[in-house]
Amino acid sequence: MLPRRTATTITFTVLCFLGLPHVPGFSAMPGVTGSRILAVFHLRFSEKPSPVVPPPPPPTADDRVPAPHLIVPPHSLDRLFESFRAGRTTRILHYGDSPTTADSITSGVRRILQARFGDAGHGFLLIAPPWAWYGHIGTSLNASGWQIQPASQARAKDHIHGLGGVNFVGTTGDTSHVTLTTAHSGGMVYYLAEPGGGAFTVSSDETELATIQTDAPAKAVARAGFHFPEGAKSLDLRVIRGPVRLFGYRFDKEQPGVQYSSIGINGAQVQMIVRYFEVSQWQAALREENPDLVVLNYGTNESIYAGYVETAYAGELRTVISRIREALPGSSILVMSPMDRGVRNDSGGIVTPAALMKLVEVQRAVAEETGCAFYNTFEAMGGAGTMARWYEMQPRLVSGDFIHPLPQGADQVAAMFASALLEAYGKHQSYKRPQ
Amino acid sequence: MLPTQAEYYCFLVVVFFAFWLARRNRAATMWVVLGANFLFYSHWGLLYLVLIPACATIDFFLARAIAASRSRHLVWLSVAMNLGLVATSRYVPGLGALLPLSLSFYAFQALTYTLEIYREEADPSASFVDYLASVTFFPTVIAGPIARVPALIPQWRWKGSALSAGLSQEDGGRALGLIVIGLLKKFLIADYLANNLINRVFDLPKLYAGGDVLVAVYAYAFQLYYDFSGYSDIAIGSALLLGIRLPENFNDPYRAINLADFWRRWHISFSNWLRDNLYYSLPGKRMKVMPYLSLVITMALGGVWHGAHWTFLIWGFWHGTGLAVVRWWQSRKLSAPRFGAGLLTFHFVLVGWVFFRAASVDNALQILRRIASLQWIPDGVSPAYFAVLAFAVAAHFIPNTWRDQSLGWFAARPALLQAAALVLTALAIRYAAGAGAAAPFIYSRF
Repeated sequence: MLPRRTATTITFTVLCFLGLPHVPGFSAMPGVTGSRILAVFHLRFSEKPSPVVPPPPPPTADDRVPAPHLIVPPHSLDRLFESFRAGRTTRILHYGDSPTTADSITSGVRRILQARFGDAGHGFLLIAPPWAWYGHIGTSLNASGWQIQPASQARAKDHIHGLGGVNFVGTTGDTSHVTLTTAHSGGMVYYLAEPGGGAFTVSSDETELATIQTDAPAKAVARAGFHFPEGAKSLDLRVIRGPVRLFGYRFDKEQPGVQYSSIGINGAQVQMIVRYFEVSQWQAALREENPDLVVLNYGTNESIYAGYVETAYAGELRTVISRIREALPGSSILVMSPMDRGVRNDSGGIVTPAALMKLVEVQRAVAEETGCAFYNTFEAMGGAGTMARWYEMQPRLVSGDFIHPLPQGADQVAAMFASALLEAYGKHQSYKRPQ
Repeated sequence: MLPTQAEYYCFLVVVFFAFWLARRNRAATMWVVLGANFLFYSHWGLLYLVLIPACATIDFFLARAIAASRSRHLVWLSVAMNLGLVATSRYVPGLGALLPLSLSFYAFQALTYTLEIYREEADPSASFVDYLASVTFFPTVIAGPIARVPALIPQWRWKGSALSAGLSQEDGGRALGLIVIGLLKKFLIADYLANNLINRVFDLPKLYAGGDVLVAVYAYAFQLYYDFSGYSDIAIGSALLLGIRLPENFNDPYRAINLADFWRRWHISFSNWLRDNLYYSLPGKRMKVMPYLSLVITMALGGVWHGAHWTFLIWGFWHGTGLAVVRWWQSRKLSAPRFGAGLLTFHFVLVGWVFFRAASVDNALQILRRIASLQWIPDGVSPAYFAVLAFAVAAHFIPNTWRDQSLGWFAARPALLQAAALVLTALAIRYAAGAGAAAPFIYSRF
């Protein structure tokens, strides 16, 4: 015998669900449909199966990226490829935002390129972690003291942030300690020479390597070299007389190969460089470093401002490229698009913001117009909707913020980017050889 | 087919009507239950239709043999078979795809039967069909509550059981009310807390200020509670629609004043199972140290049951050690202020949850380090999030009697109003939580 009250309640409810999808405004409501009831019994023969197209699998680390994702205008990467070919030290500066400051994608690219061309050292490293997220694979960084002024916060009044975009103001006794997993031959400390500047020492395993006075008649970015004792893997920096303003380190190995420096700032946008990188000092720092390739990898943080992307973004990107080109007329420049980004829509689905797709298109157009190489990370990953797919994968490839890659996802992006570079290098070599 | 999917409720409606329409004939009723159970399993994979009946049949006859012979070997055989079933489905490469539904709740439930018969706390069932209907009962198989099979079997009896009187208006209303509460807990609280902060903070804790991480950890305590207790409410409500009473699984756990009290309130069916079948089986109760060690061993094994990861082992040790300290404290007849003890217990549990939720030990340590950074001003938490979290905390501390009174009030309403409440619940879920796929229940993966 049916329990009358409960059966009536359930019947009313079922009737409501049968009717609701037909009521205006409730069409999106999941109703009780024939297919749902039949599905209870695994019976689907009475209905035509809905055409479900499985999403394309994301590229794996072994896949080779098809050429269109990397657009190489004539001669745009010649300097880089020539350096690869000559077997000398190839310096690459990769400017970017949060994934770059965490060295999440760049560490993978570094690993792949160094496996192919040799390891010329860790490259650029900040004086202290400006945020917990900062990192550089293969190093550990501890510091005490220091007033930290990232360009993104515009706290340095003169906007001089050196090569890495972060200004470290030290007073007497402030320290920085770097531990490397492999021995390096030496490196550089980047600082600001200025009137009234103090002094600092660098040492390794109790051996003092250099004492640097930063006092100078006028402000200018400067750098001082040091050499490690044989086999040394750690460096100590101590301010012996404040104030000093430092920008970072560079760690070198005495062997040819690739030195891939990740220079990322949390929340960074292209406009940060335009507004808060003092032009002449940044250009001077770039000239001193003289990289073979500069990668500009911004866009994620701009991608939710549709109006800005439509109106001002292209101009600011052009400005940054022109400043780099002015400082480094012979160096290669590559614009690398952001990864896909996800936001939840009203239905709870994870979708790509329209402004991101527009931004990638702007980047491609500006790169073409300025003769820079362009890598379309967004399309290489799979285009719009990739974040949703990567988030649903097991293991997951991206974080729950639908912005940042998890280590597996970062490795995939790194593998795709490095593969595209190597493929383009291969084509470049085969083109050059007959000549 | 999960209770977060419309298909589950279509299934439940079909089973409800089939069950009660068949009720004039007991055999027919039992076949409806069996059919429902196996139909439910078949949605997860056809292999279950071979595995589960085979294991259940072996257990049924083993239990008879155990009752007759008191053979410890036969008990071990049952334990090995059921735990082997869990281990095989989890760890044999390739089987995971064929057996997506965890078998651990089935195995624990099945073991209650053979172990209780061995301990002479229950008699073997005379009816194989009653036994099979109980041990495979579909509402409990995804994530419990772990029902004692000897307590389920009598509920199918025609005479002297609650079932014989049919489903009362009160029970029917309560069953539907429990399902409503469970769905609201899952969709409007647990999933909201997870999607809007917890998941991303636990993925990349270094990206967030210590305050954000701290809020995420507090929120996780309530996400887990509302997710799991929400599932339990739906399972208990689904069973009650067929007149079957499942044990309560939660009793306001964060009101606990010590860790032993917490485990009497959290995942009650699991902690009872561990106590009855593992802790009491360990030797040396009269020795000085062994009872403390037994607590640690029991909880460590309980931790590993969740998965072969260091994080679960640490979580188990953490709770085992905490329980040992509580036992020592109580043996000394020491006391503590109730409020302080409750606060300490909650935060002890909270640290354990960090390891329980973290993807790795390193991830858990990153979380704790971010909290220890003392940057405690959250800058990534919206006011709406704080509001939902505050509601979740307040709702947890609402007296139990209020919930019972609300369910009683709901059960007494006319059918039309109850139906309206069910439809409104679905609308609220649709418009507040969106139409995206709901996250699976956390415990459905264990």
